[in-house]
Amino acid sequence: MEKALWYLLTATRGGANRARIIDALSERPMNANELAQELDVGYKTIRHHVELLEEHDVVESGDESYAKLYFLTDRFDNYRDTFEQIVAQMDE
Amino acid sequence: MAMGPLITAAAALAGLNVLLLLPLVGVWVRNFTTFRSGLVGGLLTFAVAMLVENALALYFFFSMQSFYAGDPHVQQAVLVLRTVQFVAIAVLSYSTLR
Repeated sequence: MEKALWYLLTATRGGANRARIIDALSERPMNANELAQELDVGYKTIRHHVELLEEHDVVESGDESYAKLYFLTDRFDNYRDTFEQIVAQMDE
Repeated sequence: MAMGPLITAAAALAGLNVLLLLPLVGVWVRNFTTFRSGLVGGLLTFAVAMLVENALALYFFFSMQSFYAGDPHVQQAVLVLRTVQFVAIAVLSYSTLR
């Protein structure tokens, strides 16, 4: 998971936006529309990033079929330090 | 003296590799300035080295044709190596640009 986070957030083109999505979901669970508004990014882009984050077990979704909420996984919570380390470098 | 078709194909692949590596280098330069992480530094170094390698290969194809011309087996081997490298870089590009 630690390596996956570094790779997903720092080594790929969409990494910075994915980090912002995790940041937003740390505040509270949101659906794709809310995330798109919050980050000022297109809905389709959000869906794409969230799918990748789900693939890597960073994010999970509720079972609603409409306006599905996205949460950070418990597994991610164990690596929050790694995430903080990554974004600390971003803010400089 | 014209290049043989196999070497021409190998040169085209080397050119294609350069075109694929440029956006990769771009992404990693940008991310390195953002994150300064060792991981991205390593990836960036890797991509730049590959870029240099392909540029050199192109230079050799054009400047040392007599070196390849004598033996079709050499030309085949060169083409196989370029093809495998193209596959490697294409897959890496897909993962990185997603």
